[in-house]
Parts: sequence; C-alpha cells; structure tokens
Amino acid sequence: MAQTGRVTTRGLRSIPADEAASASTRRVLRRQRIRYRFFTLGLGLDMPMLFIILVLMAFGLVMLFSASYANAYYRTGNSYTYVLRQAGFAVAGIVAMLAISTVDYHQLHRLNVLIFFGTIALLLMVLVFKGTPIAPVKGGANRWINIGVEFQPSEIAKFSLILMFAHFIALYGERMKIARYGFWPFMGILGIFAGLILLEKHVSATLIICAIAFLMMVIGGTKLRYFVGIGTVGVVGLACLLMFSDRFTYALNRVKGWIDPFNPPEGVDTWQTRQSLYAIGSGQLFGVGIGQSRQKYLYLPEPQNDFVFAIICEELGFIGALLVIILFALFIWRGVYIALNARDRFGMMLGIGITFQFGLQAVLNICVVTNTIPNTGISLPFFSYGGTALLMLLAEMGVLLSISRHSRIDKT
Amino acid sequence: MADSQNSKMWKRAVALTAILIFVGFGVVIGNLVRWQLVRGEELRSKAIDQSLISTELSPMRGTIYDASGTKVLAQSASVWTVAIEPNYIKKGDDIKIAEGLSQVLGMSYDTIYQKTQQNSYFTYVKRKVETDVRDKILEMLEEKEIKRGVILLEDYKRYYPYGSTASTVLGFTGTDNQGLAGIEAQYEEELSGTTGRLVTAKNAAGTDMPFQYEQYIEASDGYDLVLTIDETVQSIVEKHLEKGLNAYEAIEGGTAIVMDVNTGAIIALSTKGDYDPNDPFTISEAAEAAIPEQVEKEIARRLEEEQKAFNTLEYKLSLAEDAEEEAELRAELEAFERLSTEDILELNETLYDEYFKKAQNKQWRNKAVSDTYYPGSVFKMITASMALEEGIVTESSTYTCEGLWDFHRPDVKPIHCWVRLPGHGLETLVDGVCNSCNPYMIWLGQNLGRYKFFDYFEAFGLTEKTGVDLPGESGSIYYTADQLNLTELATESFGQNFSITPLQMCTAMCAVANGGYLVQPHVVDRMLDSEGNIVHTTDTSYKRQVISEDVSNRVTQILLRNATSESGKNGYVAGYRVAGKTGTSEKVALYEQEKAQGIDRGMQYIVSYGGYAPADDPQYALLVFYDEPQTENVSGGSQAGPIFAAIMEEILPVLGVDPQYTEEEYENLAAKTPNVVNRTIGEAKQILKEAGFGYEVSGYEGENEDNQLVYTQIPSPGAPIPKDGFVLLYTQEPSAEDYVEVPDFKGDHLEGCKWYAMQADVQVVVSGNTSEGYAQGQDIPAGTKVKRGYVIKVSFVTVGGVEAAG
Repeated sequence: MAQTGRVTTRGLRSIPADEAASASTRRVLRRQRIRYRFFTLGLGLDMPMLFIILVLMAFGLVMLFSASYANAYYRTGNSYTYVLRQAGFAVAGIVAMLAISTVDYHQLHRLNVLIFFGTIALLLMVLVFKGTPIAPVKGGANRWINIGVEFQPSEIAKFSLILMFAHFIALYGERMKIARYGFWPFMGILGIFAGLILLEKHVSATLIICAIAFLMMVIGGTKLRYFVGIGTVGVVGLACLLMFSDRFTYALNRVKGWIDPFNPPEGVDTWQTRQSLYAIGSGQLFGVGIGQSRQKYLYLPEPQNDFVFAIICEELGFIGALLVIILFALFIWRGVYIALNARDRFGMMLGIGITFQFGLQAVLNICVVTNTIPNTGISLPFFSYGGTALLMLLAEMGVLLSISRHSRIDKT
Repeated sequence: MADSQNSKMWKRAVALTAILIFVGFGVVIGNLVRWQLVRGEELRSKAIDQSLISTELSPMRGTIYDASGTKVLAQSASVWTVAIEPNYIKKGDDIKIAEGLSQVLGMSYDTIYQKTQQNSYFTYVKRKVETDVRDKILEMLEEKEIKRGVILLEDYKRYYPYGSTASTVLGFTGTDNQGLAGIEAQYEEELSGTTGRLVTAKNAAGTDMPFQYEQYIEASDGYDLVLTIDETVQSIVEKHLEKGLNAYEAIEGGTAIVMDVNTGAIIALSTKGDYDPNDPFTISEAAEAAIPEQVEKEIARRLEEEQKAFNTLEYKLSLAEDAEEEAELRAELEAFERLSTEDILELNETLYDEYFKKAQNKQWRNKAVSDTYYPGSVFKMITASMALEEGIVTESSTYTCEGLWDFHRPDVKPIHCWVRLPGHGLETLVDGVCNSCNPYMIWLGQNLGRYKFFDYFEAFGLTEKTGVDLPGESGSIYYTADQLNLTELATESFGQNFSITPLQMCTAMCAVANGGYLVQPHVVDRMLDSEGNIVHTTDTSYKRQVISEDVSNRVTQILLRNATSESGKNGYVAGYRVAGKTGTSEKVALYEQEKAQGIDRGMQYIVSYGGYAPADDPQYALLVFYDEPQTENVSGGSQAGPIFAAIMEEILPVLGVDPQYTEEEYENLAAKTPNVVNRTIGEAKQILKEAGFGYEVSGYEGENEDNQLVYTQIPSPGAPIPKDGFVLLYTQEPSAEDYVEVPDFKGDHLEGCKWYAMQADVQVVVSGNTSEGYAQGQDIPAGTKVKRGYVIKVSFVTVGGVEAAG
C-alpha cells in the first residue's frame, strides 16, 4: 500500500489493491456473486412500501395538477401541460420501478465503478460545456445537462455516492472503525462529488449529499470523533469565508430576511417565502378546498416545483399537510425497515441511503416551505414537477423494492 | 458479518431514523401550527388583500336647478382621465403610444415617452378630456393595435351654464369634483353621492382570475338641488348691482339680497366683484392688472423701512458714548443686510402670488354672509319696531331734536345728529324715522333701557348666525346687555357700533315686514334623488315672533311714507307701494387703523338700502349694499336707493306682484306698443287710435292708405311707449333723415325732460321718483343717433335731503 499521495486518491486506489490482496475475500465474493441471479421475480416485494409509493405518487399527481393549473395556463395556454407530462413520466417510472425491482440489486456491485466514473464525467460535462445547449444555464445556475433528455447529474451523483458508500461499508465491515478504512476513502469520494456539485453552485444538493454521506458513515460504523475535526475545520472555514468576503453582509441580510420574511432588509427578496407563508396561513385547519388556492395564481412563483407543499397546505389545510407528513414518515419508516431487514450489509446500506436521500429531501423541502430553514432549492419527492427527477426517484424505489424482495420480511 | 456489529448498525440506523422523523417533522409540524392555526387568519387576510383590486366607481354629482326647477345652474358631464400602465406596455408599443397620445392630446412626445418608461403600474397623462378626445384615443389604439397600456377612466367635470350668475351662492368644485365654496361645499355630501366599488380578484399579473370573485357596490349618484334662487330675478339683480358697482366704483364690492319675507327663501343673492365658477381660479383682468402696482408699493415700503432702520443705526452710532458701544454698533452696521437684487426679485414673485391669492379669495367671498358691517340707519326700523311694540311711544309721540344728544354728563361726549344745530326740531316718530334722526332713536333707546333693547336685539336674531345653508357665515359682534353703557346703547339705537352680516339685517327686516316672524333664511328649496323623487323639502320655519302684526303694519306704513316722499324716496317704485329705509355707515375702525398706518383715503362708507314691497301685503324684501363707494355725496339714499328701485321695479312683475298705480303714476306709465307692421296704413291708424296713441307716417305721400303696408314701426312692437306717446309708421327703410340725436336729460325735472324730448322728436318713459326728483340716468347716452320716435328710458332720483352717517 502506498503511504504517500493525497488522502482522496489513496483511498480510491487502495480499494482494488486491498481486494486483490486478499484471495479469500475474492473467493467469497465470487461465491456470493454466483448465488445472485439476475432476475428475482420469484421473490415477493414489500407490499406496504409499494402501497406507500403508489399513494404518494397518486397524491403527488393530484396536487401537482392543482398547483400547476394556473401557472400552466398562463405560461402555455393549457392547464394540463405540466400534469400530463408528469403523469407520463410517472407511468413510465412506475413501469421502470417494477422492472428494476425484479433485477437483483447485487448487480449494482458490478456497475458501481462504471456509475461512479460516469457520474463524474457528467458532472464535469456540466462544468465544461457551461452555457452551451448541452449544459444550459437556467436561472443563474448550471446544473442541468441535456443529452437527448434533460436532467441534473447531481441527482445521479447522490445515487452514485450511496452506491459507493454501501459498497465500501459492506466491504470494510469491522474495519470501518479505523480512519484509514472507515473515514478517509469515504471523505475522498464525498470530496469529489461535493466539490464538483458545489462548483455547479448547487448548494442544496451539496448539503444533501454531505448529509447522506454523514448518515451512512455513522450507521456504517465510522467513529463520530473523526467528524469532529473535519466538522470544526468546515465550520471555521465557512465562517472565515463569510467574515472576510464581501458576501458577508449579503449572507447576514439573507439570515435577517429568513428570520422576518415580512420585513426583509433591502436587497433581499423574500417574495417567494412570503407568498408561501400566505398560502400556508390561508389554509388554516381545513384548507380552502382542493383547486381553490388563491396563491397559485402567479403569486407563489413556480407552485408546481419546490413550493407545491405550500399549495397543499392552502388547499387541504393543516389536516392535509399532516397527512402528507405522515405519508413521508411512513415512507421513511418502511424504507429503513426494509433496509434493516436486508439480506446483507450492502443491501442494508443501499436501502438506508436511498430512503434517507428522499426522506431528507422531503423534510428539508417542507422546512424551506414553512420557512424553518432559509430558502434553498430542494424539491419534494413524488410531488414536485420534474420528469427525469421523477424517473430517477422511481428507479431508486425499484432498487429499494428489489432489496425488499431479498429481505427477511414476511411477504403476504 | 458479526452480529454485534450488525446490531450496533441497527441501533444507529433506528436512532437516526427516529431523529429524522421526530425532530425533522416535529419542527415542521410546530411551524405549521404556528403559521396555519395561530397566524392563519392574519396571513389569509394579507393574501386576500394582495389579490383584491378595488376599482372606484365615481358617482355623478347632483345637478343644481334654480327655483323654476328647469333652469340648470350647475351640472356635471362626463369627461375622461387618460392614464397609462407603464409596466404592461409591450416592447415597441411605448413609442406608438407616445406618438399617438401626443398627437391626440397635443402634449409633447418626450413627456409621454418618459411616462411610458416609468417603473410603475399607473400614471396619469391628462385629466378631464372631453368625450370626443376619448373617442379619438380609442380609434388611435385600435389603429395602432395597442391592446394594453393605455386606460381611460370616467370622470366628471362641472359646468355652470349661466357663468358668473349666482356664483358666490353656487360656489365651485375642485379637480376631484369636491365642492370648494358656496352650495357646492355646503351640500358636498348630498351632491357628491356615494362612491361605488368594484372588487375583483386578480392574479399577480393583474388580470382577472378564472373563478368568479366579484363584489359590486353600485355608485349612487348625488342628489339634485332645487334652489330658491330664481335665475331671472338673480340676473336682474346682478345686472343692476353691477351697473351701480361700476358707477360708484365701490372698491370692496356690493351685495344684494332678495328674500321672500314670509318664507325666508332667498330669491336672489349676489355679491359683485365675483367670478365665473367655470373658471374660478382666474381673477378679473382689472384685478390682475392692479397687482404689479400693489407689489411695487409694498416693496417700496419695505425698502423705505430698511433705510429707516439703517438711518436709526447710523444715528445711534453718532451718539455712541464709549468705544465699546461704538464698536458694537459699528459691527452691527457692518452686518446690516440690505435686500439684494435677487431678494427683491424673489420678493416680487412671492408678493405677486400673495396678492393673486388675495384677489382670488376676495372674488370668492360671499359678502352677504361672510362680511359684517354697521347696518346704520336701516336699523332704525328695528328700533322703531321695538319702541312701538313696547308701547313706550306711538306714531305721534314727539321729541325735539336739537342736532345732538347730550347725556348731561361731563365724562360722556354728546352725540350729534346728521343734521347739525339746530337739528330737526320737534318730531313725531314718523318724522324721526323719515328724517332718519339720530337723537330721536337715541331717545327711544334710552326709554327702552339696555335690557329691553338687548332682548329685542337678540330676538331679531342679531346675536346668532342665521343658520342659512351657505358656508362661511360670519357671526355678529355686539355688546351684551350688561356692556350696553350710555354711549353703546345710544349708538346701537341708530345702527352703529355693532356688526352684523347683510343677511342678518335682511332677515330682521323680513320680521318687521311679515308680521313679526323671524324666518329661517335658506337657499335650497328641495332635494331630489336621481329618479326625481323628493328626498327633502325645506319647510318654512320661523324661529319666533318678535313683534306683533299690528306693530309690523304700523312700521310698514312709516317706511312706506319714507320711501315714497321722505329720505328714502329714491327707493320709490311706481305702481308698487314700497316700504324702505336708507342706511349709511362709516367704516370708523378701518379709518382709525389706516390713520395709524399713515394711509389717508378719508373716511370710507358702506351705503345700503333695505326695503320691501308691496306695503299692504309685504312679499319680497331687498337689501342693496355697496362697500366703499368712491363717488361724492355718499349716502344710502343717493347710491343704493336708485339701484334698489331699479331692481324692485323689474323683479316684482317677474315674481308675480302686480302693480297698482296711482293716477299720477299711471300717466307717466309706459305702455306696450301694439304691432302694426305689415298692416295697411289705414288699419294701423285705426289700431293706434283705439289704443290711445298718436301716429305719424313717414315716407309715404299717397292718398290711398289701404294700398300701402307698414314696413316698420318705431317704437318696435312690444317696446315700452309713453301712455300718450306716438308711433312712427315707416313705409320703407328709414333714411338718414329719419335719425335724430338723443338729448342729454341729466339734471332735468320731468317737464324739462318731456320738452327736450319733443324738441328732439323722441319720446321718454320715466322711472323713479318723478314728482320731486331729477333725471339721473338714461338708457341711451346723449348724442347717440336714433330713429325718430325712439323711446328713451329716463330714471329719476332725489339728491340731498337724505341722512348722512350717524
């Protein structure tokens, strides 16, 4: 093992070296691999999870229709524009999800590295082709890539990271306690992803990817104290960066605007947050009734996207909002339950990673909409408009269901 | 896999999941409770507020009619406000809009273009454009295919069809159609109606939401007012008042009030030196021309003051006693600031504005209700009424006027009568009033005593505002019973030393005329809603009976005599038994004030004539009043009297009071010329003979009178002609020979006038006091060429023998 070089590169390189070094491990892996089949149709999938997914998807489509109705009309002249496209993706996504669920998730072991480098290539493409039709700049950020279909490579990066982490956590097992195994390689992978995504100025995705990484590492067995150092460095570094840059007052004003969105300091636009709160407040206990939202009439910008939850609050009231939250809580619980009952550690970590990814996204989205945290672009899974993101989500659900097929859960 | 490790991972996974679910969603639910349940109502109303756009629907302001109910004195008509919505203008449309609007509205292209570039949703371009301009704009918008960006809002503009007629009563409105003066201000609430409101839900782009959310509160138009003011009477009053104003050069204007003595309805009320309510902010040319001079004077005065101050300082310096004081004064002298050229220029501007505003306020002022004056001798009818009512005198009670009233106290100065020693001598009450004798009135006042006098003074409504429905009514200034000491009681007895408004005097006079009832003066007769239903009628109301009907009749008889043959005879109107009293008052306070300021224009007067007719059944009271006339021989009789008579003579027939002539009056009376045009000469002669007129044929020598038609006649058909006058019958267009020069009648008595007229081959009809008076005016100036037989109106007045200031 090379003792020189930077942490990140060493972490990456050491893995195959390690694997190669241990003949016994290789043998075990081969044996395991032989046991895995490509299709797993024979095993039942977790019906509660499927049910929760379908309910969320149906609910999401209904609310998306209501929320996007006015905006679609004013933008395109047809109120159904958004919902029809989303429904198309949902149908395709569900088919894909069911198909993927039949694929043995252990196939992902093999695809792991391919996906990893593919993702990095996509992330780099976004930066390299910035401003060209391949990587269009939308709303001041270039996080999209357009190769026939348009999508955000950062979405794929999340999955790629989960896959990578699950793979190594499964591989290292007890050695996760040692920094050389359980901390630095992971930080290396995270560093590459987070760094590239941050360069896209996609702060919310960076945060989510860091949070997923942290959660998976902690669960995987990395010692918490390893994070203390890097956490301190990160916080201090961020603080210094803010303090000594000209963005400091801006950031401070942003915080002020967050604390009191109704009287924001000059230069801070809290229109979206204000309109969101108007919508939420208008709902009160029982809501104004489905389809009756006032705020969706161009007051709340892009109600079909990140702020669809505000429209749910307005139309269905506190009760409706609570229902959505309960659905997501059930989703997280069932996802984690599937993961914990997975056949092996890889499946467990993969399941937890996928569940946490969307669970976190749901929590953070609702936090933004209710002004619990400052406004940053996080979409609400199953509800927010976005075809490729939905496809990605449902594909990952397929993986989760695939894990469930192998799990120890009783299936009825 | 080691189980221990697995279970540890389990524990960690479960713990983190729990944290995610309970903490994450817990905080979120907490916030939802806060926003939805705690602050829900507040946020909902804010959300509704931002999406509701309320449009004001302006109501039509009520119309003001004269007493006939058909003549419109003030009316609103639709006009349009042009505005643009810069934020909704499409790219490229801005230039088109600026071009189109600048052409139609005649405004500069740049001004409008700049407005289109503003970052706003609404900005005015031009207000109050007529409907045809609006149509042009609409046409232009269609032509240029501009769909959004220009809006036209309906608005109203006020029109006053009779121009300056009754302007101080009507008042005027401002830019937002709010009443600013007169009835427009007094009845603002009733006239303006209720603003309607159209509330619609709009999306953030300002267009209508797809769902129905509309609340429509209809605008209700203002009430129409029917005034007691009669336009015909008002015009007559204004015509004569104006004539007098010009003739007497009354600096502070003139006022006339015509009031129905029985109801308190004000039939006409005019303040001359008024304005055109269609254009109320413009002052008369004369007033505007006078401003520069006033400004110059004021600046000169200030410069002089400055110089004086400077000189004083220099003088002080020369007297300085020690070095310290000298240094101090020198420093002060050095620091002395003179008005620089710029200062003077600036002062010029500010003073100009100031005087302009003053002139505006002056023309808007309704003197009849807003100004107070010493009523002077007109008030003597009130004092006489008090004395008769109390029974302390009768018509024949005598008192000897020795030219002054002596209090027989060394500390109180005696008061002179206007006729100095030896005075009027032995007088009855009738003589006292007719001579306008001050000591007689003082004698009455002293006999009444301060308390009785004040009781009546109060009862006649002279201590309170009349409560007329006009804005800006002024209160009176008077002494209370306890303050009425010797001099005060004495002077008040003949109408001096207290200030009341002309309207108060007129109302008190109505009480004297109508049997003692103090009526409530009013201008609005009834109020109609937009469908013409009467919503309010002003009922005749009287506050109290001040004197008995008997006393009222007796005072009327005295005043009748006064107006017919005594000091008030210039108010005489043939055919109408007029009761009247003259009044002249000195503006003592002003005189003293000006003297203190070093201005010397001599004593200024207010002349007035108050009276009513017919004396046997009083119907209408008239008070004429001129402030600061600049003619010689200033007295109420000479200046206000003839105007009073002229007004009365013309308005009484209009008001339906039929004349009853005495035989002598009948002789001088003008008749109507019969129409004989296009008749044969024979027929014409027959008609004229039967009517009692003479005739003369001009331009036809032939014998056959039945073949020749009358081409034209002088006087024209329907024109006034003396009872014994003649008609000239022309068979062809009058030639140059048929024109004669009008003689100068001024200063001649009746017989003289008639002789001159005969010499000149014209005719005269007379008005005024012909038995004793002299010709004062003629409607066609001397020297004018008129056709032979033309009738000239000559008015008579008596000069002298009327009281001067008391």
